[in-house]
Amino acid sequence: MKDKKNLTTEINPEIRDILIEMGAEDIYKCYQCGKCTSVCPWFQVEICDYPVYKFSLETALGAVASSEDKKELEEEIDLIYRCVGCEACLEQCPHGISTPNILRAARRLLVDFGSYPETLKSIVQKTHNVGNPFGEQRENRADWAKGLNVPDFQQGMEYLYFPCCLPAYETRNQKVAQATVGILQKCEVSFGILGVKETCCGEVIRRIGAENIFEEVTKANIKEFKDSDVKKVLVTSPHCFTTFKNEYPEFGADFEVLHITQFLSKLIDEGKIKPKKEFNKKVVYHDPCTLGRKNNIYEEPRNILKNIPGLEFLEVENFNRSLSLCCGAGSGGLWLEWEKDERIVNVRLKQLMDTGADIIAVACPYCLQMFEETLKSMSTDIRVMDVAEILYETI
Amino acid sequence: MKKIGVFVCHCGRNISSTVNINEVVEEIKKYPGVAFCTDYTYMCSDPGQDLVKKSIKEKKLDGIVIAACSPSLHELTFRNTAEKAGLNPYLTEVANIREQCSWVHKDIKEATPKAISIIESIIEKTKLNESLSPVKVKVNPKALVIGGGIAGIQASLDIANSGHKVILVEKSPSIGGHMAQLSETFPTLDCSQCILTPKMVEISQHENISLFVYSELEEISGSVGNFKIKIRKKASYVDNSKCTGCGVCSEKCPVSVDSEFDEGLGKRKAIYSPFPQAVPNKPVIDKENCTYFLKDGKCGVCKIVCTLNAIDFDQKDEIIEEEVGAIVVATGYELYPMENMIEYGAGKYPDVINGLQFERLLSASGPTQGEIHRPSDNKIPKRIAFISCVGSRDPEHHLPYCSKICCMYMVKHALLYKEHIPDGEAIVFSIDIRTSGKDYEEFFTRAKEEGNILYIRGKPARIIKQGDDLVVWCINTLTGKQLRVKCDMIVLSMSMISSSGALELAKALRIHTNDFGFFTEAHPKLRPVESLVPGFYLAGTAQGPKDIPDTVSQASGAAAKVMTLFSSDEISHSPIIASVDEDLCSGCGICIAACPYDAREMDERKKIVAVNEILCEGCGACISACPSGASQQRNLTNIQIDNMISVLLRSNTEQPV
Repeated sequence: MKDKKNLTTEINPEIRDILIEMGAEDIYKCYQCGKCTSVCPWFQVEICDYPVYKFSLETALGAVASSEDKKELEEEIDLIYRCVGCEACLEQCPHGISTPNILRAARRLLVDFGSYPETLKSIVQKTHNVGNPFGEQRENRADWAKGLNVPDFQQGMEYLYFPCCLPAYETRNQKVAQATVGILQKCEVSFGILGVKETCCGEVIRRIGAENIFEEVTKANIKEFKDSDVKKVLVTSPHCFTTFKNEYPEFGADFEVLHITQFLSKLIDEGKIKPKKEFNKKVVYHDPCTLGRKNNIYEEPRNILKNIPGLEFLEVENFNRSLSLCCGAGSGGLWLEWEKDERIVNVRLKQLMDTGADIIAVACPYCLQMFEETLKSMSTDIRVMDVAEILYETI
Repeated sequence: MKKIGVFVCHCGRNISSTVNINEVVEEIKKYPGVAFCTDYTYMCSDPGQDLVKKSIKEKKLDGIVIAACSPSLHELTFRNTAEKAGLNPYLTEVANIREQCSWVHKDIKEATPKAISIIESIIEKTKLNESLSPVKVKVNPKALVIGGGIAGIQASLDIANSGHKVILVEKSPSIGGHMAQLSETFPTLDCSQCILTPKMVEISQHENISLFVYSELEEISGSVGNFKIKIRKKASYVDNSKCTGCGVCSEKCPVSVDSEFDEGLGKRKAIYSPFPQAVPNKPVIDKENCTYFLKDGKCGVCKIVCTLNAIDFDQKDEIIEEEVGAIVVATGYELYPMENMIEYGAGKYPDVINGLQFERLLSASGPTQGEIHRPSDNKIPKRIAFISCVGSRDPEHHLPYCSKICCMYMVKHALLYKEHIPDGEAIVFSIDIRTSGKDYEEFFTRAKEEGNILYIRGKPARIIKQGDDLVVWCINTLTGKQLRVKCDMIVLSMSMISSSGALELAKALRIHTNDFGFFTEAHPKLRPVESLVPGFYLAGTAQGPKDIPDTVSQASGAAAKVMTLFSSDEISHSPIIASVDEDLCSGCGICIAACPYDAREMDERKKIVAVNEILCEGCGACISACPSGASQQRNLTNIQIDNMISVLLRSNTEQPV
């Protein structure tokens, strides 16, 4: 039996006010209905008990990240960093409360104290030092484009193609960037890349709570874009997309950003891309949270796939569009290890495989990476492909 | 030059705490035209009014200004006071130094000169006021009631029983409204139809009530006491003078479509009467679904089987013109569409139903004769989940308001289910159970205990179909435990919304609604059954979500207001309306287009545009439109307004007034 003192929560207005200042301003809207909790992806992980609905009230009490007991604090850090930021809760909350933002406030506090998971500390450091979370060398950033005749971005070009760190360095994801430039070249789009001058958009470090470093990275990127006279950016990652579109303007950014599926869907509608080769596969589309729920882009990727001859398009029943389930990689989740029976990705993959599809189509490098890694340990023939890769195969 | 008296009210500390009253009085005493100025703690009190009366007589005042609260509150009080002292009431004006001054300022140094300016501007207005007398309007003591649900029925009966004529218009083929669909009513569990149908019959038999069903209001003009209306009586293709309501036509009709009355759970024919106790009990032909109309005369079975020759395929819509003095709006409600609840699969899963559908399953006259079968496969559901606040209290995606009745009907549903199926299990998912009505909390307690009903605190996030079952995903926020509850059927306590034609009707009637299409009352507490526009009264859920007792009370309240209006032959109408200077008017007619009340009319003989004093509401639209200045508002002429503005502009307050 715990001693009574530890069970008593004292209201801590100081911590509460700091958390509100750091972005937890929604807490007073909560009426404790609990809808957030049963729509959270962790609800579908059998052995996991993740009490999302408690965070607003606990924050209002100032009882978040305030424990002086080391073990208790560790357990709390585990809860605070468990959130994958998918916003399924926000999507259904009757009062529009963003629990990811409340938890991000707590994360900022923990980052300030230096009390956050070591793996995440390391990716914040690496992004700060070499411009990507993997600690890869800056001079290798454009290696994926070797031999593809991809020009460096120059004044007068219409688009900057910004592939994100995963497609820049990770071998499987590099194929997506390669397919994407393949399509752009075929359609004679005027574009270039920043190459070795490119730096991570900073999305994940902001989600982790390292606000100061995020600001530093952001300001440097904005300056780089301005100096290079970038007006329109095409991105592969929904995470770059949302950061550029919805968060960079806070810091003075002034450029247009398009997700590659928006761009390609438009080219198809305008008749500038005509998928010709048959793609005789059953394809299920997985809505990335950051593309769908956060940015309302549901139809464009579907439009691309549905225009491909021979392709049989499938949906995940009950869990598509705004009700899609996260792959588990968001808000730092890609770098956190959970026990095998405690992973969101397994639940999502089961839903996707139950459709009977041959191919899982994604439109996000995180989802691709998460699914690929997990499928390696499964005996299944199902494959994961980016929408751009599928399209590239058919033109 | 008028001798003007000014009376400055302290309103306790409401005014005097931010306005220096002594300074105001001393300053106003010096103002040109002011013969007398004094102050008092509460000018609206008896001694305060006596002070006003005494001063008018003693100082021989011929204009007074009361510096106090908003004229919307006590203008009438002081006009009456002045009249008692022999002063024409329209020579009394109120300077608002409370809402427009003391309440909105903190600094006495700012508020005091502002109060002085406000009073001075009203003194300028009063100087040019003329003695006026109210316009008298004859009242047509006949009422129109729109909507034949319980609200419209009650209002009609009350008005009719007071000896006045009533026209009751209902858009569906029968009166009765949603109450006719209900099984039993909380908290007493009396049978809804059993207590409603006597009132419906009374409507049909009442000599003072003309009932128009399958009809809608087409046009309206005029104002309080004298409205002209046109009613469109839709063709029913049945000659009601011949039809006896025997029902053979419906029996033989080959077309079967979803029944609106059974909320889509049962079927009706293309020629139909919505339910057995319908009033009037005459069928109508639903042209949209009738084979005769769809396939150029192929069918006509009803005509063949009708031995009374009552079917008339050539019948046309009829326009009925009437004149009434008052209008009661009782257009009722609908349920928020289930299709909007995608997370609950509502509209997609047949066994996820709404409250009204469950009422039809419980009702002995319903599609299952009162036995509860689930819609998909007629199985008897052994476990039902009832979910509250569906659509309501969700400002982010649906409706911000509490729909008020859902908790109680859900409590009732769970109990009735257990009475029908004693070995079944009822599980209620709710975030609060709101039982604020007489005997409601007692009913809830009894229902929970007698029915052994499980109440879980939490709003479910998803309903997922798994094989034959529907699984509710929820968290019990009181225990923190996750729940995945398998159920056979789910009843959503959907919130109330205003009925679909309400916004359009509001536009036609020129009365207000709130953001959700509920008609707005003149005052939320003190005038809850009147609209802001004279002559319109509100009853039932047209004004906002409410249960049957509240609906009936409001309907009787609206009827009482109508009777008050009808209690005298004529009513007074404010004389603060437009007037026209016949020498200046060129008869251009711009004012005719500007008037929203049809109150400006061309006098062809004089070649001027006259003012219809009965219709004019004094809005001032014609005055600002008039290019020559011929149109003027009485006691608010352009010169008066100019003078008032001049005073305000020359004021020495630091901030603009």
